[in-house]
Amino acid sequence: MTGGYRAGPLARGIAWATVIYLVLPITIVVPVSMTDRRYLSLPYETLSLRHYANLLGSEAWLGAIWQSLWIAIASTAIAVVAGTLCAIGCWRLARRSTEWVRALMLLPLIIPSIVYAVGLYRWFGTLDLLDRFLGVTLAHGVTGIPYVVITVSTALAAFDPRLEQAARGMGASLGQTLRWVILPRIAPGIASGAIFAFIHSWDELVLVLFIASRNVFTLPRKIWDGINENLDPTMAAVAVLLIVFTVLLLLLDGALRARRDP
Amino acid sequence: MTALPRPEAMAPAGSAAHALELRGLSKRYGSFTAVDAVSLRVERGQFLTLLGPSGSGKTTILMAIAGFVAPSAGAVLLDGADITALPPERRDFGMVFQGYALFPHMTVAENVAFPLRVRRLGQAAREAKVRAALDLVQLSAFAERRPSQLSGGQQQRVALARALVFEPDLLLLDEPLSALDKKLRAELQEELKALHRRIGRTFVNVTHDQEEALSLSDQVAILNHGKLVQMGAPEALYERPRTRFVADFLGKSNFLRGTVREVRPDMMALQAGGTRLLQAVQGAHPAPGTPALLSLRPEKIALLAGEEAADNAVAGRIEAWAYLGAGYALTVATDDLGPLRVALPAWRAPIAPREGLPVRLGWSAEAAVPVLEDADGA
Repeated sequence: MTGGYRAGPLARGIAWATVIYLVLPITIVVPVSMTDRRYLSLPYETLSLRHYANLLGSEAWLGAIWQSLWIAIASTAIAVVAGTLCAIGCWRLARRSTEWVRALMLLPLIIPSIVYAVGLYRWFGTLDLLDRFLGVTLAHGVTGIPYVVITVSTALAAFDPRLEQAARGMGASLGQTLRWVILPRIAPGIASGAIFAFIHSWDELVLVLFIASRNVFTLPRKIWDGINENLDPTMAAVAVLLIVFTVLLLLLDGALRARRDP
Repeated sequence: MTALPRPEAMAPAGSAAHALELRGLSKRYGSFTAVDAVSLRVERGQFLTLLGPSGSGKTTILMAIAGFVAPSAGAVLLDGADITALPPERRDFGMVFQGYALFPHMTVAENVAFPLRVRRLGQAAREAKVRAALDLVQLSAFAERRPSQLSGGQQQRVALARALVFEPDLLLLDEPLSALDKKLRAELQEELKALHRRIGRTFVNVTHDQEEALSLSDQVAILNHGKLVQMGAPEALYERPRTRFVADFLGKSNFLRGTVREVRPDMMALQAGGTRLLQAVQGAHPAPGTPALLSLRPEKIALLAGEEAADNAVAGRIEAWAYLGAGYALTVATDDLGPLRVALPAWRAPIAPREGLPVRLGWSAEAAVPVLEDADGA
């Protein structure tokens, strides 16, 4: 990709416009979070950190963060285990039917989440999973599976199947081959999938709106309610923290990928 | 075999070498027959090479021996016991894969230790065996490197050490030298042969390189279109090929076509156009009047000086020639036998080759061998 022609002014203009369009709405919350007013606005006279202090002193906000974190961790665990096993199984069998299984696994990503949420609402009602930690965790775990299936399948596509043959030829059982040969080779793919599944649960709102009400109150839900009820700039502070956290996760993902292909 | 000195750690209790037998082994993929009723036997401690062009089924046979391919029919026997249904991880065969298949996330020592780790061997015993195996292939200094930090030849030796470290019943080699350049290949051929002598195990090798097959093996099995065409010691195969395919695939050969005119107990006369050929016969004698095909190696043809006599003599003109260092490769056009390839030693060659030069070629009645025309698909 080196030695090409330099982009012309038009192409550069469009590119920069796109970048600004993408980044500006995200960056605007930074000054808003430092406003000196008591409502959502840009700073008037001075910059203030009192909304951050408010956030860290508020039990409601911290509780929501805490709950979101646990749900994200638990649902990531579900997504990683189920998604990795599914991807490895499809890869090992490699028949036409496994292509269908893989496509089926991507459904939660393809179907609008509001449709999914309506279905879950009916279904969870009969299972008594509404407004419970387990229910939200399961919903987030299942909808996180596609991310893991995609990243692990990609990692497996680059895996030399002769390594598996070699391991079995030397007497390794399926479990030993999985533990010592396959998993270490696809670990970066699993980590990528885990990061995406985590982010997915961390900022998921639509499902939570349907299947949770008072007991389970995640961070996105809290922000949503905050916007509906009062325009407290604490939300902007939360948003900034969310952005920082997500960027850190993506940087981690990038670092893992860089390690995979040296 | 037990009389041969072996490195301590590689010496197993009891007999190390095992005999392998294939009985009517076949593998079909849909309507395509990759391996067609192959039966053969490798004796204890022998080095067998399966040789054939690509698509001849040689790799499929090796994979069936290793257990990675389930045969459609037939059986694989180790020391007389049927192991056809045994999965690969329970066969205890060492295998060197094409491209080596070393684990990139492990060091050389970890790679070699893998089969021992799988067998839950204790740390101390494991380390001793790994050291012995790396010594065997002269790679002790590289134990802590990763495979990607090694040259092709070194990787190949790691693969060998890994395949041998658990004292396998059988060592299988899938084109072990094909990824190396020519000089390194020759070096490793010698090492592999020495290794085989030293550890006295049964080796089964797959290659499409006829030189490798001739120089390494005790026995060579030649395959074509999934069928076993001929098996024997390298010299026997080269000197007495049974079919045109074997003569052509193993080394170079001229093919002379003629009609049998006269048959005596040890000799027959053929007519090829205006040329009468004298040919020694062993075994089956063809009937007079039938067509016959002879295989004649280029190095068995001599240039005749002046009126020098030979069992067979034919005149021709040099059509093309090439200097190869050790010798000249000539193509001589003849009226009755078509173009003949002649290998002429360059040292004190009687002529300076040039195109159009008239020459007389001669060979003895024992130089050529009658071969069968290849049956369809064999």
